[in-house]
Amino acid sequence: MAYQLYRNTTLGNSLQESLDELIQITPQLALQVLLQFDKAINTALANRVRNRVNFKGSLNTYRFCDNVWTFVLNDVEFREVTDLVKVDKVKIVACDGKNTGNTAE
Amino acid sequence: MASSANSNPVPKLYRSVIEDVINEVRELFLDEGVDEQVLMELKTLWENKLMQSKAVEGFHTEEQAALQAAAQQQAQQSQQVTQQTQSQQVLLPQQQQVTNWQSTRPNVTSAPQQQVIVQDPKILQHMSATGMSAAATAATLALPTGVSPYQQLITSQGQILQVVRAANGAQYIIQPQQQMVLQQQVLPQMQPGGVQAPVIQQVLTPLQGGLPQQTGVIIQPQQIVLTGNKVQQNTQVMQMAGQAGQMQQVQQVQQVQQAQGGAAQGAPQQQQQPQAQGGAAPGAPQQQQAQQMTQPQPPMMLQVDGAGDTSSDEDEEEEEEEYDEDEDEDKDKDGGEDGQVEEEPLNSEDDVSDEEDQELFDTENVVVCQYDKIHRSKNKWKFHLKDGIMNLNGRDYVFSKAVGDAEW
Repeated sequence: MAYQLYRNTTLGNSLQESLDELIQITPQLALQVLLQFDKAINTALANRVRNRVNFKGSLNTYRFCDNVWTFVLNDVEFREVTDLVKVDKVKIVACDGKNTGNTAE
Repeated sequence: MASSANSNPVPKLYRSVIEDVINEVRELFLDEGVDEQVLMELKTLWENKLMQSKAVEGFHTEEQAALQAAAQQQAQQSQQVTQQTQSQQVLLPQQQQVTNWQSTRPNVTSAPQQQVIVQDPKILQHMSATGMSAAATAATLALPTGVSPYQQLITSQGQILQVVRAANGAQYIIQPQQQMVLQQQVLPQMQPGGVQAPVIQQVLTPLQGGLPQQTGVIIQPQQIVLTGNKVQQNTQVMQMAGQAGQMQQVQQVQQVQQAQGGAAQGAPQQQQQPQAQGGAAPGAPQQQQAQQMTQPQPPMMLQVDGAGDTSSDEDEEEEEEEYDEDEDEDKDKDGGEDGQVEEEPLNSEDDVSDEEDQELFDTENVVVCQYDKIHRSKNKWKFHLKDGIMNLNGRDYVFSKAVGDAEW
């Protein structure tokens, strides 16, 4: 099963909201849609995206629990070839990428 | 039209994901016996939310893309859309220039001046694609900056209300005035899920001059006030109970400003419509009212123990209990406040939280990804990440690989 990690993104949240709004969609069906979304987004990210980003900043907190890393960084610069994005604070949630066999997040 | 040399991969990626998901679940929908129409609705909702979030740059639905193509064909050099003729904010000095294309637009502008109105066509195109009426379009344009259309509600009459979210989080409902008579009925469940923030309604009265005026009404959550023009000069304020939830005493005061001549309806009056009337909205009086802020006060709990309890003697306690029971409701706030005031100084220094507010921050920049390797040396951390979606400063980015350094 694919990670449910990407549900808390713009794409994922808007899908969840839309599913909530439509009452004709049963909760069971909504869950199926979300599972399908998980598969689709994981595949798309793995296959259709091909760019690289660098970042640096200072680490405020780190947490490793259930094989999930959660970092909070401050004053970070994200650098891509094209442009640069600076943020005061960013939270990074990362699941294990070595093998995608794990269920849940 | 393409301004940037590198195309943003995000819209295409999202498009393809949406298409994939929708196609995959089509079967599921049919198995469940859900109509294809619902699937299309899901897709539309999904796309609209993405558009409205502005997290993705240049994200267009197919309809909007077709609209833009058609509009560009029409306007060509003038870069104007048909809806613009009804806009009151794009009135530039008319310079008739006979170009090779022979644009017949009344507001033909020269090339240097096109920059001025470039913003508006985009906005208008965006508006028109979402199905807003002309008045609503103008109204939305007339809104203060920082406000963007958030949701569209369709009333029982088929009017399209715009729920707009301002920068400060307050929600506005814009109702275009089409000189229609609103029904004096309770609109059941106007808003799904209940509106949490106070709703401000702006009534727009299209004037002959063309500039819409705005009036503001601030009402409580779970209430929706609709104003309508009965005879074009009267404003009717109705109060609708949104849901069968809490009944709160609200003082609603509304001020309607009408610049049209002869609109005077008498001295402004305050209108109080206590909501204890079961949500029905019997013919609301047509009045002009002054506008005020409504400040609902959350019911406070009566605290009879702890610091709120005045102790010791039995006689006193008995008296206190009777006293409290009798005046339970009235003493709600006072009792609660008294209890709280003494408690706070005692507890206020107990927490040693290291800026927990940071964690609870609203628009947090988030990166969701997978890690290849996380490395640490002393306090130097190195991150090797992959397949991530980032939301930074409100915008979405993606990456297949990310490498980072940080010092703890």
